[in-house]
Amino acid sequence: MISLEEIRNLATLARLKLSGAEEESLQKDISSILDYVGQVSTVPMPERKQDAGLWHNVMRPDTPRDGGALAGKESALIAAFPKSEGGYNVVRKIIQKDE
Amino acid sequence: MNSLADLTIVEAGKRMSAGEITAVDLARACLKNIEARNKELNVYLEVFDDVVAQAEAADARRKAGESHPLLGIPLAIKDNILIEGRRVSAASKMLEHYVATYDATVIRKLKEAGAVFMGRTNMDEFALGGSTENSAFGVTKNPHDPTRVAGGTSGGSAAAVAAGMALGALGTDTGGSVRNPASFCGVVGLKPTYGSVSRFGIIAAASSFDQCGPLAKIVEDAEILFNAISGRDELDSTSVDSTFYSPKTHNKKIGVLRSLFAGEIDHITMGHFEDKLAKLRSAGYTIEDVEIPSASLALSAYYIINFAEVSANLSRFDGVRYGLSLKGENLWDDYAKSKAEGFGPETRRRIMLGTYVLSSGYYDAYYGKALAAREQLRNEYINLLNTFDAIATPTMPDIASKIGELGDPLAMYLADIFTVTANLTGNPAVSIPMGVVPSEGKELPVGIQLTAAHGDEAGLLALGHELQ
Repeated sequence: MISLEEIRNLATLARLKLSGAEEESLQKDISSILDYVGQVSTVPMPERKQDAGLWHNVMRPDTPRDGGALAGKESALIAAFPKSEGGYNVVRKIIQKDE
Repeated sequence: MNSLADLTIVEAGKRMSAGEITAVDLARACLKNIEARNKELNVYLEVFDDVVAQAEAADARRKAGESHPLLGIPLAIKDNILIEGRRVSAASKMLEHYVATYDATVIRKLKEAGAVFMGRTNMDEFALGGSTENSAFGVTKNPHDPTRVAGGTSGGSAAAVAAGMALGALGTDTGGSVRNPASFCGVVGLKPTYGSVSRFGIIAAASSFDQCGPLAKIVEDAEILFNAISGRDELDSTSVDSTFYSPKTHNKKIGVLRSLFAGEIDHITMGHFEDKLAKLRSAGYTIEDVEIPSASLALSAYYIINFAEVSANLSRFDGVRYGLSLKGENLWDDYAKSKAEGFGPETRRRIMLGTYVLSSGYYDAYYGKALAAREQLRNEYINLLNTFDAIATPTMPDIASKIGELGDPLAMYLADIFTVTANLTGNPAVSIPMGVVPSEGKELPVGIQLTAAHGDEAGLLALGHELQ
């Protein structure tokens, strides 16, 4: 069973704030789900590299395009900002002086 | 009920072309059903206030000489597909007040065709679930029995078609999210080949699985919708056109993945399934039991990859640029508070699981192995579908569950056993109503699922047509 400490560490990595009750219920759920999906451990890893069937790069010419579907939508995008000022997104100051 | 809303898209189009009815008549017939039952069933999160005006515009286009099978057809749109200027929330508090800044490619195409958008339909939050019980705005009830779920994650879209609140609908399918509610609500649901429909403007769940697909009353209607939305799109680099896969030669052979469900399905559902196979047999098809050796690994591989991709995709919702934005003591706190309040319990659970399977030390054991299983499964399907035209299973192991019945998340995941494979392998799959199962005085629909070779939607839908 996954430990409560691991749950708290995962929450920190995932930037989630969890209540004590949710930590405990997740400890139980996550353990049983991981037990189940852990059956993939029996699958042998392919020796060769995976072929390009599922994963391959899709390239396009490196030429300038107009804004596409977002051309002219600047004001709508700005309107979605939680807080804007003069067309800029106002965010929290994260670099602060040492005290 | 004898209403214009009961018409298929094919019939409604014919009657509009003949001048017998108008798009406004159709829209009003759907609005009447919405008025009567939407409060009870919670199908639409929002019914657009300009439906009649949209229908009038479609009628004007027809008068001006335009024609398209979807011109003036009222459609329901899942709440994770962007329509410019309208709210789109993915049924999440995170995006409750978010207004789309542009049209999804599928919406642009439907607008060009002249379809009428009735509203945005309820779903599991961020398309995570299988019953629409994970919506932040309440469960969608099954039109055939309101004590049961409509299925999910596209529960609202399937229920809208089943309850005559639209003639067709768009859903999205990540692990069965179009086919599962189609089975539970008694409608046709198609998950197209991965890449055949652009996802530009669709809120991502698990990007290597997500496909947008139609829900409709009959196979022909689903085909009209599929033809309207499919095709390569420069804005989705995973999209391909219809010539990408070489044409498939059909051998009139259907494989049945019997070992996966033998003994697990109730006898009435099995009876309907055997009837449908018999119908194919009498149409000249050979029916054979087949084996997919890796089939038992599908659920595990699917969920590991789903968790991983969901946790990566949802990390963008941090309250900085759009969506719910809550302030805490510092930047980390801002993120953590916004995510904790904005996401529901299932979404938080999957983010945690995804973070786990991708974390250092576990990546190879889970994600790496899941990818290997996926590749194995994909090759097994490709081989089998060289010989067979399609693989058949029931769509779901059971009828729609009672609301609140499946409390345990793992039990909920296990119900996806027949549907997740097509998302892992990228094959197209369709659910077609195959009959009803009586339960507590109600008749609950069940569906048969057919899976075909990559790019062979035409063959798949032709088979579906045989089964109707």
